[in-house]
Amino acid sequence: MIQVSVNGEMKVLAEGLNVSQMIEALAYKTKGFAVAVNTTFVSIQTYEKTIINNGDTIDILAPVQGG
Amino acid sequence: MTKRLETNDLWHIGGKTLSSRLLIGSALYPSPANMEDAIKISGSQIVTVSLRRQAAGNTDSKGGNQFWDIIKSMGIEVLPNTAGSHSAKEAITTAMMAREVFGTNWVKLEVIGDQYNLQPDPFETVKAAEVLIKEGFEVFPYTTDDLVVAKRLADVGCNIIMPWGSMIGSGKGLMNPDNLVAIRKQFPDLQLVVDAGIGKPSHATQAMELGYDGVLLNSAIALAQDPVKMADAFRVAVEAGRLGYEAGVMQKREFASPSTPTIGTPFWHQFD
Repeated sequence: MIQVSVNGEMKVLAEGLNVSQMIEALAYKTKGFAVAVNTTFVSIQTYEKTIINNGDTIDILAPVQGG
Repeated sequence: MTKRLETNDLWHIGGKTLSSRLLIGSALYPSPANMEDAIKISGSQIVTVSLRRQAAGNTDSKGGNQFWDIIKSMGIEVLPNTAGSHSAKEAITTAMMAREVFGTNWVKLEVIGDQYNLQPDPFETVKAAEVLIKEGFEVFPYTTDDLVVAKRLADVGCNIIMPWGSMIGSGKGLMNPDNLVAIRKQFPDLQLVVDAGIGKPSHATQAMELGYDGVLLNSAIALAQDPVKMADAFRVAVEAGRLGYEAGVMQKREFASPSTPTIGTPFWHQFD
């Protein structure tokens, strides 16, 4: 198992998950968000080949109101 | 009878052709319905949006995002911001995430350099703008009214520059109109938008009278006692300012000059 930060909260995940598998494991149900790993953008096209590692910082962002 | 004139000139910005020159924020409204009504009545065709951390399963009962569903249904242009970024790196990452989520290459580039007055960091803003333009973004940079910073932004390829009127959310209006005029004169061909600090409709009119191409605001409408009515007021104010600019404002004079004809003045006498 590995430990990662997801949107500021510590989470325990199985080793070797890619971004798609991580999203599923974290129970994100909807589309319409974007992902960054260690403050670097991960596009949808690269979800499958981007592996989550122990200690990674993950941000999952969705639309909100803005000025 | 002469027909009433309207500002029916079209505005070409960021590869789009629009009729409204009012850009409006989507935050701080009393309710989503109030936001929708205010945006509609404002006539604005560009609404600013943002990205924030999403909790797992944090969706409405239909499994969607109510706010984003409303905005999408309105059929207007969205301008995602990078609010909250404190470095070029953070802003660039946020912009790329926004491009994927919102499906637009437009980005309102905000890199904050001071937490107290939310003043943009000019060095990081220019750095981020340069990278984002190379990545194919249409950058709407939020900056101060500093002419040299505007020059640097233009140098790296910004077609649009958005100097502040005053601090974000302050409602103080145009702190330094002379600085804004200097930027306008220096860059007659760039699209210039006053962004931030607008507090009341007359501030928007003033910005448009200075020759600015548009005005971007949020708090002045959303925090009004009646946001929908205020949105209508800003629609009229921006139109009035644009019409005034197009009509050509008279030159100021050092002395009084009577507007009523002096020939034939009754009871005329020479002042001592």
